[in-house]
Amino acid sequence: MKRRITENLDIDTGSLTWHCHRCGGALGPASANYKQGCLIDARDPREVWRPLIEEEYNFSYDPEWMRLVEYYCPGCGTLIELDVLPPGHPIPHDIELDLAQLAKKPAAEEE
Amino acid sequence: MTSSAALEIPEYLRVRPIEVSPATVIGWTRPEPIGELDRSCLEALRPGDYEIYDEKLANYLDEAREIFIRSGVSGMLRSGDLIVAVYTANGDLASASAGTYLHCVTAMLPIKFVLHAYLGEPTVLVREGDIFYANEARYGGIHNPDQMAFMPVFHDGELIAWTAALAHQPETGAVEPGGMPLSARTRDDEGMKLTPIKIGENYRIRRDLLDMVVNFIGRAPRMQAIDTRARVTGADRLRRRVQQIAAERGNGFVRGLLRELVVRAEQAARRRVAQWNDGVYRTAVFCDTIGRETGLLRASLAAIKKGDTITFDFTGTSPENDSSYNCFPHVVAAHAATFLYAYAFHDLPVSNGLLAVFDWVIPQGTIFNASPNAAISNAPLVNCLTLAAIPKVMAQMLYDSPSRELIGACNGNTTGPVVFSGRNQYGIPVAEVDAAPMNTEGQGARSDLDGVDAYGFPWAHAGRAPDVEETETEYQVLRLYFRLRGDNAGFGMRRGGAGSETALAVRHVDAMPWNQRSRNAKITCALGLFGGYPSSSCFGIHVRGTNLWEKMARGDPDVPANTVELATRRAIAGEYRFEHPSRPRRIGMNGDLIVHLSGGGGGYGDALLRDPGDVVRDLKCGAISDWTARNVYRVELDPATHEVDAVATERLRAQARRERLRRGRPWKEFIAEWSKLRPSDEALGHFGSWPEGTPDPGKVRSWL
Ligand SMILES: [Zn+2]
Repeated sequence: MKRRITENLDIDTGSLTWHCHRCGGALGPASANYKQGCLIDARDPREVWRPLIEEEYNFSYDPEWMRLVEYYCPGCGTLIELDVLPPGHPIPHDIELDLAQLAKKPAAEEE
Repeated sequence: MTSSAALEIPEYLRVRPIEVSPATVIGWTRPEPIGELDRSCLEALRPGDYEIYDEKLANYLDEAREIFIRSGVSGMLRSGDLIVAVYTANGDLASASAGTYLHCVTAMLPIKFVLHAYLGEPTVLVREGDIFYANEARYGGIHNPDQMAFMPVFHDGELIAWTAALAHQPETGAVEPGGMPLSARTRDDEGMKLTPIKIGENYRIRRDLLDMVVNFIGRAPRMQAIDTRARVTGADRLRRRVQQIAAERGNGFVRGLLRELVVRAEQAARRRVAQWNDGVYRTAVFCDTIGRETGLLRASLAAIKKGDTITFDFTGTSPENDSSYNCFPHVVAAHAATFLYAYAFHDLPVSNGLLAVFDWVIPQGTIFNASPNAAISNAPLVNCLTLAAIPKVMAQMLYDSPSRELIGACNGNTTGPVVFSGRNQYGIPVAEVDAAPMNTEGQGARSDLDGVDAYGFPWAHAGRAPDVEETETEYQVLRLYFRLRGDNAGFGMRRGGAGSETALAVRHVDAMPWNQRSRNAKITCALGLFGGYPSSSCFGIHVRGTNLWEKMARGDPDVPANTVELATRRAIAGEYRFEHPSRPRRIGMNGDLIVHLSGGGGGYGDALLRDPGDVVRDLKCGAISDWTARNVYRVELDPATHEVDAVATERLRAQARRERLRRGRPWKEFIAEWSKLRPSDEALGHFGSWPEGTPDPGKVRSWL
């Protein structure tokens, strides 16, 4: 049985694995960080907010200070999550569920 | 500091014994154990009592808040950055009329301190007609601009409740004007800090003590005198109303009603939390400003949810620093409260019953648990990190539950206002915060809704922007524009609300001193959720030596209507300075332009999943540019008619997904490259060791 854990992530409470909510593709064991099952790109913020002038402050952020670390579903390319991190900062293990408790829960009403 | 316990304290007036310090008063956020008297009063409530009198009390609270606002004079008070609240006899928050939820936490702690330290202290005591006053963060406040009046409520000789009124005061007698000095290095630079004192007796303010308080505030004595009286007036009106209920229904009824509000909130909060998945939810958030300098600060948060309790563990948060960007633990709880009371538990009584479910782990020596002598006057600014971290972990916790609709991405979370002073066009000395952008930040997107544009002030939801005409009539500025920012709201399947932008031109006078205190220019903490982007950068522009008046006199059609036009077309001549928005005091000359940007809310979900029709709507209202529609949302449309080409859009989006798969690297490969990077040295000046954030032993704080 799958539970929808976030907008883009499911957990199969039988196999205890992460899955992409969009395509169902597996993203590794639910005991681990789902980001380990994703494809990852650390993007320059200027790709999302285009610098409009040639100045230190130019309507975008500073890539020396900030990257957009994007986690993609390797199956369908959905942007599953993103972190705003200084370059090289350790990747947060953001969701670590008590899987024994999760497996005991009744099915969610939807999805 | 311990209670002398010289007099016997009855059970119903006892608070948890605490070794009082700035690090420990957070322990009083939890409700006190229910004593025998309160229990019997709870049991005596009849069906309907709670429902009727909860409503009645809410009306009385709103009445007291309105009287408070009308009695005061300073800007933050008038705009509603305040709380009026009623407490049980032993200091638990029972209900409030709040323009900000911060003080659900912080207005309560000084009351418990008085119960703890002075109730049984023969040289102080608590008597009918007493009026207490406080503004010291060490005893439960946020920072010393937040001043509060509080009063015990007696009826038939019994202490049955407390009332309080708290609002931000713009002047504290600190080393700089404005109450939040950027140059403060220790508590001694920060001005008046009153431990809870009795400022009045027999329902009258004591003239000698009022004179003492006013004497501390040399830059704005009249404002202080008026607003002190306003706080007392607000607390006192509520005191009368509580006595009125006691006269109608008896003291036991008041005790039962107030305790019931605490009990019900706790029960409801526990029921709700128990529905959420057990686990650990983590985030790390960053800001780019420390006092006058740029530098990275981090808040690390692990929310440990088990059964009906949540522990917020901030281990890994940046070390305290030598500026006023520090705070004490209860201040972190206060900033968490702005999300908890407004979103996740918005429908519960505004009592501290809710706070029973939370534990706090906030290590000493961090920006969130600074040494007692540290400067802390910019505590609200450093807690932009708390405003970012709490919604992020709560979204992860709440999504798979019936509470899904209560999650929301971070609100704008950016603005430190431009503050200007000098003489206005009538020759009168003024000092004012430009509250327009700060009260019009964007709301974070929700799971089912876009964020509201210009929704308000993330620290105090009731804040309202001033009227443009009034600002121009009263002050020496012209507002060239004040509008929603384009490409600012966080992009996503649901977009954040847009923040605002304004340009002030110095007018009528030769020169005007001004400064600004803001952030989110190099890195942002206005985060999105589940793939939604944060909002765009907030920086500052200062244009000197302009020809603005000549252009306006000629009626030139190219006077810019927004910041992008101003910065890219440069139709106004002058020397343009693009800068970090934390700008020390300087002089603006007649005709100078000061541009101030506020932040949008974070987005929600993958931008490629946004309905193309919604993207067109964003484009038409100016929320996004053509570039963003095409390059972020990947929507193909006719530039003239804005008609979407659905087939081409699907092709563009499929191509974008393929590009992601081509660019993306598997975990191990990514980490191998990523972990070699580090931020610039400029960014790491106050961070401690990279990436652990362990304090640098070479940095000695000036209070040591
Ligand atoms: Zn997928």
